[in-house]
Amino acid sequence: MSMTLYLGCLIRTLYPEVEKAVYEVLGRIGVVFEEPKGASCCAPLGLFSLSKNAWLRLNERNMRLFQSTVLTVCDDCFASLSDAFKILSEKNNVRVPEVKPFGKFMLEKLEEKGLRFSFKGLRCAVQHSCHLLRPARNVDNAENPMVVKNVLEKLGYIPVSYVSELDCCGGLVFEEKMRDAIARRKAEALEKSGADCVVTTCSHCMRQLKSVSRLPVLHLAQLSALSMGANPEEIGISEILLRRMVNP
Amino acid sequence: MISRLKEKGAGDLLKCIQCGSCTSSCIVNAVNEYFNPRRIIGSIVKFNRLPDQDPWLCSSCSICVERCPQRVNPLSVIMALRMIKYENGDAPPSRVFELIEQIKKTGLAFPLSNEAYEKRRSLGLPELEMDEESLKEVKKILSEAGF
Ligand code: SF4
Ligand code: SF4
Repeated sequence: MSMTLYLGCLIRTLYPEVEKAVYEVLGRIGVVFEEPKGASCCAPLGLFSLSKNAWLRLNERNMRLFQSTVLTVCDDCFASLSDAFKILSEKNNVRVPEVKPFGKFMLEKLEEKGLRFSFKGLRCAVQHSCHLLRPARNVDNAENPMVVKNVLEKLGYIPVSYVSELDCCGGLVFEEKMRDAIARRKAEALEKSGADCVVTTCSHCMRQLKSVSRLPVLHLAQLSALSMGANPEEIGISEILLRRMVNP
Repeated sequence: MISRLKEKGAGDLLKCIQCGSCTSSCIVNAVNEYFNPRRIIGSIVKFNRLPDQDPWLCSSCSICVERCPQRVNPLSVIMALRMIKYENGDAPPSRVFELIEQIKKTGLAFPLSNEAYEKRRSLGLPELEMDEESLKEVKKILSEAGF
């Protein structure tokens, strides 16, 4: 069955290595997908905030271009699209496409195909993105999220737990000083976890934490592609990180 | 005030029991006590006026929504405050307009950095350009909303 790929703005304009990793993963597990060229930014309300109507209309327009289940690679897009589609489905009594976040998609695919990958020994601290979990999105347990950790385990990595795991990274705070203070707080907790890297499924978390973290910050798609045999250089996995692995 | 907030999508503020679960979970409050969702809601309900706290400080993390025992949805109140303050002529952070301008230009909220442009080329990734017809539609939606 074919899917609709919605990469969002940040990944395409800032993190081409993540985009490349997504194509690698989809190609390697044999998922056929379409990428509607005319789709626009999903204008998440946390960012855009000034007009609910414009947000809804932009996504109604996006929705018309989507012919199948939508795979999102940023959890903010996931939340924005699913919230908008829910309102549109109730308002117009129409069927709307399902929206699937990358983490959940990976877990389902790995389970469906019974895939497990060789042990890499890389310790990963997960930055659980707020918009994947809350409010009650039925993707994961909001107080004890496991989806991304389970995916990491199947891919051969070691998910580590740490204090303040559920804390927001502050990526959508508009005031700079406060945004940085929240990022640093989160980055410190991540560094104390003893992990080799930070893993997330949200491009806003990625950008926010990359600005302050001493640990490499990766998207789950990058580690997925690496396990599946993609060229590390193309998908943005550094030499330093590779040297930490038992089976790179 | 409450009905105006509700029009903008705010939840049922009158159900708030001022328990403070929202504030004690709020990451912004943890770094700056001035921002306090319990007090934002309290002052609207008690004094029926716009709170002076800046709604743009909220990170929209939704943990207050998840933890509120009364299902008030404090985040929805804060988002409604952003819209009302804007309508009242209170300028939002300039960053918001930068995002909107960027969407009008390319359909995406962020500009393509030079570095990413080069990287996209070397990785053989597809062109980012949106077709003219689509961009026109997107601009129309935004301009009809007053942007
Ligand atoms: S958690 Fe809910 S009920 Fe408690 S103070 Fe906050 S909004 Fe009011
Ligand atoms: S959504 Fe905003 S107000 Fe609510 S807990 Fe998060 S930062 Fe605080």
